[in-house]
Amino acid sequence: MAIVETSSADAAACRSCAAPLTGQPAFCPACGKVQAPGPADYFSLFQLPRRLEIDLPALEAMFYRYSRKLHPDLHARATEEEQQWSTAQASLLNNAYRCLKDPVERTKYLLRLEGAPLEEDQAADGGRVNPSKAPADLLEEVFELNLQLEELRANRKLGEDDPFLRRDLEQSKTHFVAQLEAVDRELRSLWSAWDEAEERGDEAGKTGAKRDLAALLHRRTYLGNLVRDVNETLGDL
Amino acid sequence: MAYSDKVIDHYNNPRNVGQLDKSKSEVGTGLVGAPECGDVMRLQIRVNPETKVIEEAKFKTFGCGSAIASSSLATEWVKGRTVDEALQIKNTDIVRELALPPVKIHCSVLAEDAIRAAIGDWKKKNGVAEGVPAAAAAAN
Repeated sequence: MAIVETSSADAAACRSCAAPLTGQPAFCPACGKVQAPGPADYFSLFQLPRRLEIDLPALEAMFYRYSRKLHPDLHARATEEEQQWSTAQASLLNNAYRCLKDPVERTKYLLRLEGAPLEEDQAADGGRVNPSKAPADLLEEVFELNLQLEELRANRKLGEDDPFLRRDLEQSKTHFVAQLEAVDRELRSLWSAWDEAEERGDEAGKTGAKRDLAALLHRRTYLGNLVRDVNETLGDL
Repeated sequence: MAYSDKVIDHYNNPRNVGQLDKSKSEVGTGLVGAPECGDVMRLQIRVNPETKVIEEAKFKTFGCGSAIASSSLATEWVKGRTVDEALQIKNTDIVRELALPPVKIHCSVLAEDAIRAAIGDWKKKNGVAEGVPAAAAAAN
């Protein structure tokens, strides 16, 4: 993505008509010309506060409105620089919309934006993940499930299908899917905890909500992987 | 990224795979997991009640090659050591021995934590307070 270097003084004025700009709008409100994409975060791109409860139909409407204005056909006669900017803005907009409309991606994005470390990032960095933070109540179940999956795969190699084992696995799957749904309900209640703290400007509340959200996402990843493994193994048969 | 020969060796010929009777007082069980990759590792030790020497160690790991190699190596290393000596094993030793790349360091962390968890479980079963050397507790 082309990021045009601008000094902070330039950034606050339209590159075309020099009208003052607040935030980093894609278009100048005065002359309507496309602007260079700045390092805006996805929330401010849509002029949204950093909150997790989002009016999705409004987000979608805004996305389509901006997308139309950025359509290359409308900029065919613009300067080459403006054409580049509109392409870059369109790509930024697509990424932002794809991220914000997804409840889990949106939550992860906000946590990263707010500097809350996510386990998956730490693991990718080769950093120390404290396994005591792995949900202890789940480990036992996870281990059992993996044993069953292994047995099922071994049976399959011998050309056998054990209907009892299969039934057990279907039950485990139902159980984990239900837990995943419970996690998603809990996610929504934690959203309000964050949103309310953010509205009040309550830093302690925000920190607490961030920690709880990160832990919940952690659990969600674990459960998601389990369901995926069970599906893969059952689907193979 | 290729696995080192040592990782491949442990992966193809894992040492000490299996299970010990976790209801026995001389057996300690550690179950640890890393949610981001779905790895789960069970490491068990059987400790001689007189000498506090780990006489047997077994593991069962579901995970990538590095996770299996790390736990396989961990069982080899704890065998023959006393409980207190086994607690000195660091994940960095495992990283070095297996030449693990940075993205796989968490596998070695998991193995170190599995050793600690197994010893912690054994201590709890045998009334040795956490953080107290087993040798000191035995002298009481």
